[in-house]
Amino acid sequence: MSKQVTLTIDGKQITAPEGALIVDAAKMAGIDIPVFCHHPKLEPVGMCRMCLVEIGRPMRDRATGQIVMENGAPKIQFMPKLETSCTNRVEEGLVVLTQSEKANAGQKSTVEFLLTSHPLDCPVCDKGGECPLQNLTMAHGSSQSRFIYDEKLHLEKQVPLSELIYLDRERCIQCARCIRFQDEVAGDSVIGFDERGRSTQIVSFSEPGFDSVFSGNTTDICPVGALTTADFRFGARPWELDAQASVCSQCPVGCNTTLNTRREAKAGGNIVIKRVMPRQNEEVNEIWLCDKGRFAYHYTESKKRLTKPLTRTGKDRKVNRVSWEAATKLAGENFLKAKKNFVVLASGRLANEDLFNLKTLADQFGGKAVLYSHIGGGELTAQVGVSAGTNLGVLGSGSTIVVVASNLYEEAPIWYLRVKQAAERGATLIVMNPRETKLDKYASFVERYDYGQEIKSVQELTKKGKLGDAFMKAQNAIIIYGSEGLGVAGSASLATACAKALNETEHVGKANNGLIGVWERANDQGAWEMGFKPEDDLAAALKGKVVYIAGADPVGDDPKLAKALESADFVVVQDILENATTEIADVVLPAQTHVEREGTFTSGERRVQRFYPAVAVVGDARADYAITAQIAKHMNFIMQSANANIVFEILAETLKPFEGLTYEKLSNVRVQLPMIGRGDMYYGGTTYENTHGLGVHLSAGATRGETVRIPRAQKEALPKVKDTDLLAVPVSKLYHRGATIESAQLLNQRIGKTTVSMNFDTAEQWGVVEGAQVKVSFDGVSGEAKVKIDETVSAGVMLVPRGMGLAIREPAVAKVKL
Amino acid sequence: MSLVEKYPKEVKQILSKYPPEHKRSAVMPLLFLAQREEGYITKAGMQDIGKILDITETEVASVVGFYTLYHDAKAGKYRVQICNDLPCALRGADKFLEELCGNVGIKVGETTADGLVTFETVTCLAACDKAPMFQTQGPDGINYHENMTINKAMEVIAGLKYAGKEVK
Repeated sequence: MSKQVTLTIDGKQITAPEGALIVDAAKMAGIDIPVFCHHPKLEPVGMCRMCLVEIGRPMRDRATGQIVMENGAPKIQFMPKLETSCTNRVEEGLVVLTQSEKANAGQKSTVEFLLTSHPLDCPVCDKGGECPLQNLTMAHGSSQSRFIYDEKLHLEKQVPLSELIYLDRERCIQCARCIRFQDEVAGDSVIGFDERGRSTQIVSFSEPGFDSVFSGNTTDICPVGALTTADFRFGARPWELDAQASVCSQCPVGCNTTLNTRREAKAGGNIVIKRVMPRQNEEVNEIWLCDKGRFAYHYTESKKRLTKPLTRTGKDRKVNRVSWEAATKLAGENFLKAKKNFVVLASGRLANEDLFNLKTLADQFGGKAVLYSHIGGGELTAQVGVSAGTNLGVLGSGSTIVVVASNLYEEAPIWYLRVKQAAERGATLIVMNPRETKLDKYASFVERYDYGQEIKSVQELTKKGKLGDAFMKAQNAIIIYGSEGLGVAGSASLATACAKALNETEHVGKANNGLIGVWERANDQGAWEMGFKPEDDLAAALKGKVVYIAGADPVGDDPKLAKALESADFVVVQDILENATTEIADVVLPAQTHVEREGTFTSGERRVQRFYPAVAVVGDARADYAITAQIAKHMNFIMQSANANIVFEILAETLKPFEGLTYEKLSNVRVQLPMIGRGDMYYGGTTYENTHGLGVHLSAGATRGETVRIPRAQKEALPKVKDTDLLAVPVSKLYHRGATIESAQLLNQRIGKTTVSMNFDTAEQWGVVEGAQVKVSFDGVSGEAKVKIDETVSAGVMLVPRGMGLAIREPAVAKVKL
Repeated sequence: MSLVEKYPKEVKQILSKYPPEHKRSAVMPLLFLAQREEGYITKAGMQDIGKILDITETEVASVVGFYTLYHDAKAGKYRVQICNDLPCALRGADKFLEELCGNVGIKVGETTADGLVTFETVTCLAACDKAPMFQTQGPDGINYHENMTINKAMEVIAGLKYAGKEVK
């Protein structure tokens, strides 16, 4: 622990870690010093002058250097002027007065100054009710201004910095929190100040505007109503909103969120989500959230939501609206008939409880439990995954983080942010990718390999050399692996190589060590823990089978799978949205989204976290675990389904990694610093305090002392390519056409058109140019796409984004034609 | 043509003055270089500088916006920047400005028909005791003209117009 110093603030003696800022030390001691520009997650700048206080220091005799004593105590010498408590650090014996007449006068004048150009539009301002400027004006401001009202500046009130974030120039008080967040935290310096003095204003020149996936966070830390999201502006007043704890369902990071809801006439008197806010969890997402997590929630209220069970019967495939009982009975009967031909295909969209029941059903009836994913290697993350106590937020000097085959900025933005910060704190970051990624800038070592050569790069980690030294000698080592340019087999091989490197160097089975998979969905890790596995050749696995699909749209995603399911014997789909698969299914069962029910997700860091019901159930939808149990009942197999809690209890009794976990334990909270939320939004922004649980890590096989079993690395799964061939490789994109993103119309522009990228020479070789609309074909798939010239792509390679209409499961030889 | 293509030697020389890890510091001299020819910095120029220094266009634009001697809009070849801040005004700068505008036939912010001279007002050039005064910013850099009368000022402007045509 760092050295503590003792000081006095407003007569109260407190201790604080050496080097802490006075304003932060005061906060920890329960003393509020008003601030606008200061933010505990940002570097101090002292721009707004709101935190002016009187600071006195023990007086020293100039000749002897001794502290001058007076009446038995050190004599305190106050500075003649007020000082900013956000730039001065605590010192032994400091005396700070935050409420003195002088300090009060200083703070009052600062508010008066800030208000000279601030409009009086609180009644129509989105921030009104949770606005630091409003609150601090009430607390410290003057009831009258000495400035002339008519001289107020009038500026533009609706400036889109991007289609997601709007700026109201009048309301901005130039605290630069947003600019500093983008510079220091996000690493995307895409907004800045233009002009100077009274003309200072926020601008963005990036293309597209405010080009950062973290842009929404600026609206949380903006201390006035200057920055608002296009999604929430004019949406509701903060005091009308209820808050319910949840977990983001968009990626494996598992960011803690708070869903702000309200009952609305527009929604027929139903409770609807008005916005998604970050909820503090310093070990997961701190107080941040990426824009996908913030804006993509609209799928839960999509018009395409399935609301009633349906069956398709007879030769003409007549659609019948049936009761739950009838639908599940039909499903159950056909599953029984299937015998060994039974396949359960589920995705990480589902909660642990759902996947557990599905797996139990599959096991009971000799079915195969298949994970709908393009990434392999999860049986290894279950064994050598990061263990309890892991926190990317504390890694620094002495730790090594390896990121391989993943563009974290696009695939798991908050991990990108946390890894970047770890590197900035002194951790050794090794980035291994076939092309440049945003993380390269922060890396100690950037290792570039050709597609298909990733394993060789990983093997360097255990060989003598600069990479080997950085990895083997590290106190802590984490490898984060993804699926850039890889299919199921390829990523499984990569995971094997990574696990081997970690295991050989004893970087397993302890906190802050181990393997992390950059999965596609929120609970893919949970699915692996239950025993679900993806198939190399999914189409073959589905052909002629009786298939129970949960949370996946194979027909819409991939024509090959569509064909395989055409010849499937019987298809039951349980999902939240209408899609191409529900169009062909024999039985369609409407499921609840995670915002309508209770449950848990297991994040990529193997942290189990609870989410809670926030809105009313849509139609007759039921929770996935309950649907499975109802089907099981018709197969004369009784499964728990009364509530998620009970299912979780059984799950925890059955599966070793979950041993001892209960909902109660998952909802435990600890004191988290900095103090965010509560009543004092002025300090940390509008991020919510975590009162509903920080979650608990699963134990890893290696932690439990089990022998780690690492399969022999399979061959790299790259097709044979000639020099003249074009190799299409799958890459992941943050905003794609996935069902849970596309419903958010606001994100349409960011999703964009289907674009394939290649470098200039390759494009020339194939006779295409930037922006050309081309026909792309590979591996029996063909479709249209726009060409983008990208010099970071290696020669002879074409990047094909996943989830954008071109079904690419693994690298393939391709052709492009104008 | 990009900045590097146009001025390879100059860019290299400017960059050599800064340690590579702090190359962003070269933004100021590069902006002057980009401004040299047209008298203002184009969007493409800012993008070029961003690329050279590995910073975003927004960061470059912020610097342009902050400093009054960088311009992001086209104007005359010479900018005549007349100070009319309080001390200058007390010495008759306002009247001087008004008369000058009348004589030349343009208002503040406007450019002469030949595209050579633009009038701008500025705040304090640190020559209060020598007001009325102005500075000219053009291809030959920045020059002060102090203790001005209308006649002297008209001579200076005539000189600028002559130089503007010659230098072309």
